[in-house]
Amino acid sequence: MRIGRWLLLVLWLALLAVLGIVVAQRLRVSTDLRSFMPEPATPDQRLLMEQVGEGPGSRLLLVAIAGKDDAQLAELSQQLATSLRRDERYTQVLNGSFDVATLDPQLLPYRYLLSPTLDTHALDATFLRDELQQRLDDLSSPAASLLKGLLPRDPTLEVLKLAERWTPPKSPEVREGVWFSPQDEALLLVQTRAPGFDPDAQATAIDGIQRAFAALPAHQGASLVLSGPGYFSVVANAQTRGQAEWIGRISTIGFIALLLLAYRSVGSLLLSALPIASAALAGIAVLVLVFPQVHGITLAFGFTLLGVAQEYPIRVLSHRRAGENAVQSVRALWPLLLTAIASACIAYLAFYASGVNGLKQLAVFTITGLLVAGFSTRYLLPWLLPERVHDVARMRWLQKARALVDALPRPRWIPLLVAIATLLMLVFARSPFWQNDLAALTPLPTDLLQRDARLREALGAPDVRYLLVLQAADEQGVLALSERLEPAIDALVARHAVDAVELPSRYLPSEAVQRSRQQKLPDRDTLQRALADAGQGMPFQPGLFAPFVDDVQKARELPLLNSARFSTSPLGQRVSAMLAPHGDHWLGLATLSGVHDVDALQQLAQESHAAVRLLDLKATAESMVVDYRTRILHALLAATLLLVVAITAALRSVRRAWHVLAPMTLATFLVLAVERAAGVEISLFHLVALILAAGLGLHYALFFERDTGDIDEQRRTLHATVVCVLSALLVFGMLAWSSIPVLRAIGLTVSLGVAFHFCLSILMAPHARQD
Amino acid sequence: MKMLDQPLVVSGELAWLGGDRLERRVDHPNREVSTIADGEVVQQREGREPRRFSLKRAPQLQILLDSFVALLGGDATRLEQSFTVHQRGDDKRWTLALVPRDAKLARTVGLIEIDGSGSEPRCMRMQEADGDLAIDLLGPLAGSMPAKPTREALMTLCQGG
Repeated sequence: MRIGRWLLLVLWLALLAVLGIVVAQRLRVSTDLRSFMPEPATPDQRLLMEQVGEGPGSRLLLVAIAGKDDAQLAELSQQLATSLRRDERYTQVLNGSFDVATLDPQLLPYRYLLSPTLDTHALDATFLRDELQQRLDDLSSPAASLLKGLLPRDPTLEVLKLAERWTPPKSPEVREGVWFSPQDEALLLVQTRAPGFDPDAQATAIDGIQRAFAALPAHQGASLVLSGPGYFSVVANAQTRGQAEWIGRISTIGFIALLLLAYRSVGSLLLSALPIASAALAGIAVLVLVFPQVHGITLAFGFTLLGVAQEYPIRVLSHRRAGENAVQSVRALWPLLLTAIASACIAYLAFYASGVNGLKQLAVFTITGLLVAGFSTRYLLPWLLPERVHDVARMRWLQKARALVDALPRPRWIPLLVAIATLLMLVFARSPFWQNDLAALTPLPTDLLQRDARLREALGAPDVRYLLVLQAADEQGVLALSERLEPAIDALVARHAVDAVELPSRYLPSEAVQRSRQQKLPDRDTLQRALADAGQGMPFQPGLFAPFVDDVQKARELPLLNSARFSTSPLGQRVSAMLAPHGDHWLGLATLSGVHDVDALQQLAQESHAAVRLLDLKATAESMVVDYRTRILHALLAATLLLVVAITAALRSVRRAWHVLAPMTLATFLVLAVERAAGVEISLFHLVALILAAGLGLHYALFFERDTGDIDEQRRTLHATVVCVLSALLVFGMLAWSSIPVLRAIGLTVSLGVAFHFCLSILMAPHARQD
Repeated sequence: MKMLDQPLVVSGELAWLGGDRLERRVDHPNREVSTIADGEVVQQREGREPRRFSLKRAPQLQILLDSFVALLGGDATRLEQSFTVHQRGDDKRWTLALVPRDAKLARTVGLIEIDGSGSEPRCMRMQEADGDLAIDLLGPLAGSMPAKPTREALMTLCQGG
């Protein structure tokens, strides 16, 4: 017998080790928040899902370097930009230094097709003479040395016109050749390749910037400051994880102490951890087999929800009788335990029905976990537990407590009173019922937000909330639409409805426009004659402008520029981010800065007959949350019905099922009512927590309802339930103190739930027979 | 100037408006008024939109401003801050040689020389690093710009020949 026990233990541990190895080798954790979103239903939602991760705004990091004098900071800014431009992880690095090199030398002749000059002028003698005269004036001014280098190749200064057109409309001040904020920080804009809301990928990108900065020889004494959506997701993630771990450590210690106090056996404690460990490992192993990637949130939530499974070994330990071995105790307990396991599985099945990938994973994980925990508690654990135990029914305090509980008056009007109070609280709560803003659950420190607003203002960086979406049949259609919009947009900017709109055609004109410009370019002879005429009486050296003539000739023969051809240069990548095929049509995305009058923009969109849309990312995200919740609520309703049927069938009595389900339902609504009365707005996390609490409450009600006619058994039931309640209160009560709303939401809801479920299931349980 | 086969000649007025403000008015051959004030440069040419840019974008102009303001205001400390100053000659005929302290600026503007007699500056010569030379005839000399100036003739003129 002893040898058999050891063998079983070794086999069990070996199985866990194998599972652990499989999991460690094959587990790929994804942190992309999108897999926790439901399938998008409207075009705006579909676009949002793409934009949330891939949009140019969400991939932008704002960087500031401070703490030294202007010249040193400018030097650091240049060095950092150079080092980041070489790095694969960043698609664009801007620091304000206008460098003709940002336009690929190969692309330089394209300036005549990109700049609007030829729309209003021809390269004839009159125009050239006027331009040359201006260049003479420039040369005689003290600023001559700024222009000298450009002159032979570009006497009409098209490069500068393009630079002016392409610099962000509200660009920061340039000192020492790079951007500076009014607070004397050197500023950079970095676009990451990684999606904005993948905190892990963003963390790598941010780490890359910090490392590149730390590797600069002169970085000491200067400080690097980052901001932007990606940075925020990293901060929020780290904050939440940090607090959850810190709280988790304390409550684990408390939990172990509680179990030691309750059972006074280290062996029992260690053994009772086995079903939970098996549950967690088996759950992950099944996820790994079924899904290509496991979401980080699934694991975090899953472990929380598995808390229910801790009850199974606790029940077994509490229900041990003196002189009876564990296998016999479990056998007596099993029908009820099986009902508890089945009902918890039904509740978690609701997550699967929601249709959201992340929640489906959650359901698979928790249901597998519950089944493994339950069956290993029934068929494996009892063989390992020590033969002789201390029967908790002999404990003095427990006998008194049970007597007290039994003596409690249980008037029938209590449930009615609670129901009425619940209803009143729900009806009269003032604050909005639902919390739709996911960002409110992981709020950022105000100084971070203020810093972001300041840097965004200084850099003229685009607003992350609004996007103008241009739709047409193909790329050229989008560009042509964008060109047609330019006058209307300019008018809006002039009216201060918006500070700036970055239309794709600002960077890349449509082929039609390019072609008409190209056709206006004179041939070599004509240009040379015009140039000779224009330069008459001017002191320019003969042949000085040969590079200009060559470039114009090249421009005449260039294939027209499109986004694919343009994308070889850094600037072209920016254009690619603004133009994308989308199903059977193309979309152009124009970023907006400084939106002051949303209605004016809406009106612009309305007048375009659906070709242009103003996408409000925040409103769309909230509409998705609403859809999401509706799905979960529907699934919950179905799960509830299923639960009623299952419990009634298991107990073979409607009356008994009522005694179990009524306290559970009432307590669930009571939690909701108390939170509403306290002004809490209900979020998805509250819903998940309510389901967990309901699962726990169902166990309490099931066990309290059971009438064995044996006073000792009633005492053991109380013991088991008190241990379960205390351990749940310990773990979730700690979370309720967290400063992070999402953790507080879960902690508060489960703690309140456990307390209410416990009280109501005692008060509403049928009277124990007096022996 | 290397790009041109003859020197560029403009005439007008350079005025110090007090503080860090300077106005450069060109009357011939084309009318143009440029002002530097409050860190901003505004360039207005006849019949065209004014152009504005930050002084920080044009460090050459900053040098000019520094040297003029310091010189006209008689502020030797300020001059010393931006330039290493060498003086040669006597009270009657003197030359101030200013070399920008900032190494990056020295790469575009190598040397500024100011010739004067008594308390009056006569000439300002800005030697650019690429070999081009800009000469400003100031005050009493302003009217004596020759019709076809040469580098040598102007140098003699400045040095009081």
